[in-house]
Amino acid sequence: MARPGPRPAHVRLRRLLVMLPWLMQRGEVPLAEMAAHFALTEGEVVADLELAAMCGLPPFMDELIDVFIDEGTVFAGVPRVFTRPLRLTAPEGFALLAAGRAAMALPGAEPHGPLGRALDKLAMTLGDDGVVVELERPALVDDVVAAVASCERLSIIYWTPARDESTERQVTPRAVFTDGGHWYLQADDHRCGDERCFRLDRVLGISRTGITDARREVTLANPQRWFTDDPELDRVTLRIPNELVWMVERYPLDSLTPGTDADAMSTVVMPITSEQWLRRLLLRLGQRAVVDAPTKWSALGADTASAVLARYDVVNSAN
Amino acid sequence: MAEPLERLTNLLALLLETKMPLTLEQIANELHGQYPLNETARRGSFERDKSVLRDLGVPIEQQVLAGDQAGRTAYRIDRRRYELADLDLSADERQALQLAVAAARSDDAWGQEGLWKLGVGSERPALTVAAMVPSFEALPPLREAASSRSPAVFVYREVERTLDPYGLLLRDGYWYVIGHDHARREVRTYRVDRIHGEVRVGAPASFERPADFDIRLVFPADPKLLGEPEREVTRAIVRIAGSRAALVAAEVGDQAVVRRFDDGTIDVEVPCVNRDAFRSWVLGLTDNAVVLGPEDLRSDVIQWLTAIAGAR
Repeated sequence: MARPGPRPAHVRLRRLLVMLPWLMQRGEVPLAEMAAHFALTEGEVVADLELAAMCGLPPFMDELIDVFIDEGTVFAGVPRVFTRPLRLTAPEGFALLAAGRAAMALPGAEPHGPLGRALDKLAMTLGDDGVVVELERPALVDDVVAAVASCERLSIIYWTPARDESTERQVTPRAVFTDGGHWYLQADDHRCGDERCFRLDRVLGISRTGITDARREVTLANPQRWFTDDPELDRVTLRIPNELVWMVERYPLDSLTPGTDADAMSTVVMPITSEQWLRRLLLRLGQRAVVDAPTKWSALGADTASAVLARYDVVNSAN
Repeated sequence: MAEPLERLTNLLALLLETKMPLTLEQIANELHGQYPLNETARRGSFERDKSVLRDLGVPIEQQVLAGDQAGRTAYRIDRRRYELADLDLSADERQALQLAVAAARSDDAWGQEGLWKLGVGSERPALTVAAMVPSFEALPPLREAASSRSPAVFVYREVERTLDPYGLLLRDGYWYVIGHDHARREVRTYRVDRIHGEVRVGAPASFERPADFDIRLVFPADPKLLGEPEREVTRAIVRIAGSRAALVAAEVGDQAVVRRFDDGTIDVEVPCVNRDAFRSWVLGLTDNAVVLGPEDLRSDVIQWLTAIAGAR
């Protein structure tokens, strides 16, 4: 695993403080297993343990930990100071609870299974958790999860907002995930012969094909940025008043260049999932937002605003 | 001089082992040759080490001594506060936590650091079902404040708020903190990703959470009620095109539908406490929504649109 530069002392110490109690409990462990467990190279494990073996306090100099490495196996002796891991920090505690609560809300979770028991035990040390995770899901999700488990090919009718058209295609579901309040299906798309993500609320129809495909493990699409992996997506360059940048910050941005004091306009380059979506964004941003590129969208905001205004001419409280 | 890692490890071991709090002079004496001799340089090195340990979560206690050491600060670590309690997790419980952290797919390392402390490795199981859990710096201190019943102080929309946090809720992809706002004297909901800067956590056991509190019920049913009211609540009437009527009715609730037309068009009555949020909601529906009234809200949206239309 490539890393930029040497690991700083605080990073090494943090890992050492979980390595030592773990090692003492096991007594002996293959070096390769220990390296994999702690996401380090074998060389890094050896370097850190050798350094730890040199640490010590009077009158037990050089005996803080009792460890040696022989023929690819690490042996640990009598534990001294670091017999227990450091307590969980606030971020660690939060991350474990939030992940656990989220997993409990996923399809297939057992309320009284091992995860529930683990969370109860965590609460003993972290206190009342105060974390509620809601993952509301359409009924479709459970059907698709079942198809993932059985590798059954499905026929779906999918609406593509960018082209405002619905197409039918066969897909083999591989994974299901939720992100930002939406559910997605990651599947082999037999129409394009490639893996794709589909938003489940845009699946207008679904039917079983009875065809079972070979099992295949997939890497889940990259968090947050997953849909930008689609090379077909258009990019837009926007100039936005600095004080409105927060409105786009939650979307995946290719780049954000803050404005100078002189004009106070930031430049943002971002992928656009559909023209309709860009229309809505431009209406929200208001008159000072400018589409720099591509030029085909220079007047998109103005055109959209005119179209909405036309509705106001027709519709008023009188009718 | 010792390697930084060696000195840090020795300092940590010394403060854990000592029965009596130690002054910097005593520490430097015990860790012979590891701290600089020059007093200013030694103090600087020690302060850096101390802050590294505190950033790792090490609870270093300090006290000002009396007697012949009067005025000097001494340090130690209480082992009971340092050590993780034994959670007695079984193998399948550990594995369940590992799967959960993998499924949450946060882009920070907090979950894995926690797993290591519980004896779980970094091997990543293959997943077919997952939920991205967004992560923000403000979340851990807010959870800790909710758990320990401590007030939390933070900046939201450029105003400093003091909140007795009752809990955190992830809904529709956003984290919200809900609690009793000191200045407003009522229960308020804030979006965590809009909190600006650091969250300060006050003294524990400062408030009681209402016994029947359920975060899902207290949450405002209407997102347009979130945040800070700029004016009184206005009831706005908005006409929704038939193609979006079902979606909007599901969002605002059937009781908000005040008129139905044969072609599927509906009129809804929605609260508006914040003009920006209201306008943003209406414009998100583009030409499928028209504000009918009251007149000043309608003309506000028309002005906004006219400015955009004229900017071509």
